Amino acid sequence: MSKIEHERWREELSAYLLGALEPGEAEALEGHLEGCERCREELRWLAPARDALPETVARMQPPPELRERLLAEVREDARRAAAGETERHGIIERLRGFAGPRWRPLAAGAVVLLIVAAVVGYEIGSNDSEGGGTLTTEETREASGIIAAVSMEGTENGRIELNNVEPLPPDKVLEAWVEREGEVEAVPMLFVPNGKGEAATTIGDMRGVTTVMVTEEPPGGSAAPTSEPIATVTIG
Amino acid sequence: MAADRQKAERLADEELMPLIGGKDPEAFAVLFDRHGGAAYSLAYRIVGERDAAEDVTQEAFISVWRSGARFDRARGSVRSWLLSIVRNRAIDALRAGAGRAPKLNFDDEAILEQRPAEEQTEEEAIRHETATEIRDVLGELPGEQSQVIELAYFGGFSQSEIAGMLGIPLGTVKGRMRLGLRKIRSELAEGWV
Repeated sequence: MSKIEHERWREELSAYLLGALEPGEAEALEGHLEGCERCREELRWLAPARDALPETVARMQPPPELRERLLAEVREDARRAAAGETERHGIIERLRGFAGPRWRPLAAGAVVLLIVAAVVGYEIGSNDSEGGGTLTTEETREASGIIAAVSMEGTENGRIELNNVEPLPPDKVLEAWVEREGEVEAVPMLFVPNGKGEAATTIGDMRGVTTVMVTEEPPGGSAAPTSEPIATVTIG
Repeated sequence: MAADRQKAERLADEELMPLIGGKDPEAFAVLFDRHGGAAYSLAYRIVGERDAAEDVTQEAFISVWRSGARFDRARGSVRSWLLSIVRNRAIDALRAGAGRAPKLNFDDEAILEQRPAEEQTEEEAIRHETATEIRDVLGELPGEQSQVIELAYFGGFSQSEIAGMLGIPLGTVKGRMRLGLRKIRSELAEGWV
């Protein structure tokens, strides 16, 4: 790595921390960070400056109803978990119902589709990010023509990219979900397709993930999927 | 078994997380009571509407409830982790809101006057003092540096978008952002490391 290249990335660390890099740039910088201890050290030093920014915000008291709603939800969730009737089971079953046969283990005939789509997915991934490789991808809902690919960014982060996504209604966003150890979890970053029908979001932790799905949800996302997945990617 | 409220209150945030991962509502309640105000305040500053701020805060805490077991303390404090989730959710909400412009004219002092924080604990009092110190640091930044930092962090704008909005070269935005954040870091007390 040349000194010029190192300095170029070093100058982007502040923008990276502030979430101000362009799409694709953050992934490229993370690739550089993997091999550059000096930049990792500077990032660690600089991060508290970013972490201090929320502390400058004028403090407001959240409405008491918010606390009540949250606690009611988690207590009910805990009660179900304790009773062996976890919400995750219901969500998985619902998604299985949504996804139909595709959610089940791939039949022999589906393997061909998986391999073909994986090649397409690799091309998608290699165009937009460096240092990652597509794990496995599956074309979902042939009728819609959506192609989904999941690639790794570093050792833990992942990224799901969709192509051929139809424009969303104004009251909808895309939300990704991961299944890990039988539990379905929401991916925090909501996303929308661009004018070319491309949409992507980062998955913060890919460890143990066996399936990635995407659904259309109301603005702000949902706590649990409320619609049929438009894409389902099995991590092989 | 759920830890009782008193036991949970004595635990550090990092010690609460495994309990939350184990679905302990009391540990979750303590976490909300410690950081719910900061989370809601941050969400409000970004989205500029109370209902939307409430939604963002709720989604962020539910996300923590579901993923608490995977908090990685090597990456920073629980509070920073939580507030980063709030920030990302709020920016998403901002972008998803059709025709809704980001709240760019930040007048914290005015808001403070309208709704003074209710300091209930010593810890909250310390946080308030720290926040005042950090605001002072930010206040000492050249205006053009704090402007690009606020547009990026609270407005969710990229460097290119900020350059376009302000009508200045991209390289100037990068330079102001870099200098401003480094200055904030240099001025922070050692306790922020």
